[in-house]
Amino acid sequence: MNVAATITQKPEGTKIHQAHRSAEAIEARELTGSQILCEALTREGVEFLFGYPGGAIMPFYDALTSYPTLHHVLVRHEQAAAHAADGYARATGKVGVCVATSGPGATNLVTGLATAYMDSTPIIAITGQVARPFIGRDAFQETDILGVTQPITKHNFLVQRVEDVADIVHEAFKLARGGRPGPVVIDVPKDVQFSKTQYRSSASISSIERFRATRAPHPSAEAITRAAELIKGAQRPLIMSGHGVILANAYEELLAFAEKTNIPVITTLLGLSAFPETHPLALGMPGMHGPAHVNRAIGESDLIIGVGLRFDDRVTGKVSEFAPHARFIHIDIDPSEMHKVKRAAVPIVADAKEALTRLIEAVEQGDNGTWINEMRSWEAENSERSASIQRNQEYPDPTSILEAIRAETKDEAIVVTDVGQHQMWTARHYTWTRPNSHITSGGLGTMGFALPAAMGVKMGKPDALVWAVAGDGGIQMNIQELATLRQEGITVKVAIMNNGYLGMVRQWQHFFHNGNYSETPITGPDYVKLADAYGLTGIRVTKRQDVEAAVHQAMNTEGTVLIEFVIESEANVYPMVAPGSAITNMIEESPDHD
Amino acid sequence: MTDQTQPGGSIQQGGVVGTGPSPSWSSIARSEHLIERPGQADAPAGTDQTHTIVVLANDRHGALDRIIGVLRRRRARMQGFAIGRNELPGMARITIVMNDSEVAVEQLVEQLRKIVDVQHVENLTSGQIVARELALIKVNSNESQYSTEIIELAHHFGAHIVDVTQQTLTLEVTGSEEKVEKFVDSLQTFGIREVARTGRVAMIRGVV
Repeated sequence: MNVAATITQKPEGTKIHQAHRSAEAIEARELTGSQILCEALTREGVEFLFGYPGGAIMPFYDALTSYPTLHHVLVRHEQAAAHAADGYARATGKVGVCVATSGPGATNLVTGLATAYMDSTPIIAITGQVARPFIGRDAFQETDILGVTQPITKHNFLVQRVEDVADIVHEAFKLARGGRPGPVVIDVPKDVQFSKTQYRSSASISSIERFRATRAPHPSAEAITRAAELIKGAQRPLIMSGHGVILANAYEELLAFAEKTNIPVITTLLGLSAFPETHPLALGMPGMHGPAHVNRAIGESDLIIGVGLRFDDRVTGKVSEFAPHARFIHIDIDPSEMHKVKRAAVPIVADAKEALTRLIEAVEQGDNGTWINEMRSWEAENSERSASIQRNQEYPDPTSILEAIRAETKDEAIVVTDVGQHQMWTARHYTWTRPNSHITSGGLGTMGFALPAAMGVKMGKPDALVWAVAGDGGIQMNIQELATLRQEGITVKVAIMNNGYLGMVRQWQHFFHNGNYSETPITGPDYVKLADAYGLTGIRVTKRQDVEAAVHQAMNTEGTVLIEFVIESEANVYPMVAPGSAITNMIEESPDHD
Repeated sequence: MTDQTQPGGSIQQGGVVGTGPSPSWSSIARSEHLIERPGQADAPAGTDQTHTIVVLANDRHGALDRIIGVLRRRRARMQGFAIGRNELPGMARITIVMNDSEVAVEQLVEQLRKIVDVQHVENLTSGQIVARELALIKVNSNESQYSTEIIELAHHFGAHIVDVTQQTLTLEVTGSEEKVEKFVDSLQTFGIREVARTGRVAMIRGVV
């Protein structure tokens, strides 16, 4: 069926097109708080808003139709709005914006804000609030969203006067993207949205300027010299790179630094695609589901250069046994990350790009041939057992699905994963080569992330081939967004790895709860019928030999396509480190495949 | 005393029951992985000490919430939290007295500095500081000989009488926590009706 032809476009003319007006002309007349909000968003270069209207945000939605450059995407649940803004931000490096009404609208954003907070992505949430006289009086749809979001936002604002709207919006954008990025909430009471004033934005806000100055520090010359000395003296050095490399757009610097020093590069889950995995110095992912040789290398290393990562517990396992022989050079833009998990011999509080640039100048050419060969021999020794999934000739197996996607997209896809087994399989087996081609909810591990985030990615990168890979559990958490994809005519290809279980939880039950599969078997809809019901295309694949053809068909069908891959029901992700145990102590697949 | 197992950073009833570390502090078993994480407020026994931290923050909506929020999340054992103005307009000066390990406090200071409205954070623990507390103490004075004794005692501690009724005397005393504590102790015999202590405020001696 020709999907493209049947997609209902947003009717033209619903937005009142206005002639270009100069900033002076706008500032000369009185505007409502809502108009100022729209004006400020426009001046910040916002292209897309992901949101859902409701009582307390209605004046804003009324003004929105007069600002045709602000493209609003109507999601089907506010959680998806936050994830879509997050996906947009991760893919473009720009600030993503989501909008919701007060009360339930705002609280539905919470999971998305927490996701962005944990993974340091810049998003702004604009929430309606009940009118000022009603705040604190349990008014209809009133929630203290500032209180609710306080621990999961970088900052949040309650706009108390219409005169402050413009300043707060501009301040919020600076905060969201400055230093270590993060989410910012702007809560706007309904009567402030109605109130009128002239558009005024003061040139600078002293507190924010100070904040920016201290939060984007430069690496000290002393620290760089000391780091170069440690690197020179190291026999078994490793680079561990995280999300900070991607956020700082420091791919080239990381590559140049690794190549000059000849130090192998480990990439964390959120660091995947920061360094090409086809490069001879690429080692792989560490931690709970990393291949054995990577964790063994960490165990043997005498120097770890951490770039833009926070040594999360899924990476370190038992901290006292994590890299017991290593000293640490830790580069991070956030000073509170220093010594948090491991005491750094050289803490470098700086943007990853700047720190790496300075380090490249300071270090000498390195060799590390013996050390690299040693690691490669471990890799060869373990490759069989380290394979996280056994090839299955009958069912579509995750590796073949991922290989088919990679081949069919000529390695040009941006892959957005959900959370669980498929996420680990994808992380391990996709072979990441293009910068920022892997997007996932790492820190918070938010199921339901993939579909709406992929939607945001596609909006931000309209020319990219965007694939969402999800399990049958996670996809059902935000499945309603198929309607949004359809209404907006957004093309995302969706691969569902359906094993009829909440697979990762089942795997833990298998290892740590005596195989008591409590509430992990899960059913789902007929995905082909579901896709059809939403006006999209669905494909069901039950045999290994049909995988490539299905992926090919999906790529050659216009619009969003859902492929349900029925995979082996009880496959595990190998190897695995039990939570709280040393990462060198891995559970590997037994030859008889359990 | 703060219950070790309670997540909230509840403010202890300061000096009336002593400002030292909670006696339950070292005796409560903590899970192993918490002990080995240097950033945790649950530091190994013996590494904890009382810290005095001064925070200067913009007096803006939500600033105080965020400061308290960081302390709550870290399960800091707070012994004092004094908030008031300083010499700058629109600013609040907060003196936090808490028990924590040294490494954890280092991280706490950085976490506090991350709060947008926080302008300055200083750990005064190792410096030479002047620290004072003010207390209002309402004691029974219905028997006449009590009054004389109380007034004598107050004079000895440099306390002032700020309110007199037929049944009560209200005294104001300023000084170190030890002094305030001693004064409160010595008034016990008369029957204390109410004690209000500000908690410690502090600053570094001389020019910084």
